[in-house]
Amino acid sequence: MNELKIEDLTCYRGDNLVLKDLNTKLKSGETLVIRGSNGSGKTTLLRVLSNFIKSYNGKILFNDHNVLEDANYRNCFNFVGQKNSLKDNLSVKNNLKLWEIIYQKNISYSKLLEDFNMSHLVERDVGSLSDGQKKCISLLRLNFTKSKIWYLDEPFVFLDEENSQILIQKIKNFNTNNGIVIITSNINLQNTFTNEIKI
Amino acid sequence: MFALLKRDLYLALYSSSSFFYTSSFFILVLIILPFLFGTNDVQLQVLFKGIIWIGLSLSILLTMERIFNADYEDGNLDIIIQRYPSLETIIISKFITHWIVYCLPLFIILPILSFLFYVSLDSFFLIFLNLFFGSLGMVFIVTFVSALTLGAKRTIFLKAVIVIPLFVPFLIFGTNLESWPILLALSMMSFVLSMYVSAYGLRLYVE
Repeated sequence: MNELKIEDLTCYRGDNLVLKDLNTKLKSGETLVIRGSNGSGKTTLLRVLSNFIKSYNGKILFNDHNVLEDANYRNCFNFVGQKNSLKDNLSVKNNLKLWEIIYQKNISYSKLLEDFNMSHLVERDVGSLSDGQKKCISLLRLNFTKSKIWYLDEPFVFLDEENSQILIQKIKNFNTNNGIVIITSNINLQNTFTNEIKI
Repeated sequence: MFALLKRDLYLALYSSSSFFYTSSFFILVLIILPFLFGTNDVQLQVLFKGIIWIGLSLSILLTMERIFNADYEDGNLDIIIQRYPSLETIIISKFITHWIVYCLPLFIILPILSFLFYVSLDSFFLIFLNLFFGSLGMVFIVTFVSALTLGAKRTIFLKAVIVIPLFVPFLIFGTNLESWPILLALSMMSFVLSMYVSAYGLRLYVE
């Protein structure tokens, strides 16, 4: 059983107060949707949780260990940001190969692309794909590590109805396997995920 | 670190033109010379010692955007920083890749170019040593400038203004054939400076 706890989290970006006294707790199998207007600090919150931003007040505890002091924490989560992390001039296959090297995990590309019904795109240059297709491929990074937490920054942007449903199903499967998910979104997902906070 | 190095080398291999950019640029800069100054042996030998440094400087300067910026712009830098928490590891890996991809090809073609410019064997070895040690330091310099200016778009001229004065000591000592120990010392100083400043630049980006 894993637990992620955020206690009195306050974060400034320059002189701007972005996050103020944020408190929440998530257990294995739960998904939290963070909603808020543009510039409200949703991405900042995910970057704080992913340990990219380390200057903040308050505490983030994963299984009662402060994430700033826990060297193993970086292997516990997977962060998919708004940028797709894809090289436009390379084929889908070569992009996946680069991730394979970084994550040091061999994976079957065709099986991986099957998730979003995109096996036929394996040899295509990423630059020639639509934004939605690029987003789907960027989300395939979630399969490269066996993480306990997923941080997904606006994952539904550019996705069509069918791929959104596939992603929702992937998140629910991850929850079933005791994974914790935090999503930022401008879209109302209350019918799908009940746990929601507004910042 | 080796995985990151392997990844960057694969990336360069997939964009295979990278290997040819600098060497072809280098050759073109040198080919222009005889048209401007004639084909007198002695004159060409003297010019060669200087112009190879201008060619090397421009080659390194024009490719500096690729050290961190490409990964920053597409979001891969986030993945790299998450997987490799030691920023120094990332910096060293990026440095080695950049040197292999953009400087090593110059050393491969250098013997042919030296032959074309009537450079004697003794002089060739000294020029080779000078260029080798100098190129290390020059890549260290562009690495930290690239890290410091991460995220600043279309700033190649600003970067050039920062980098070119820092290249001057390398150019001054580089043209003197006996000064490879000084170039080695300059490169070592650049390494120390680069590690601190690049790590600071990357930390600024992450934050």
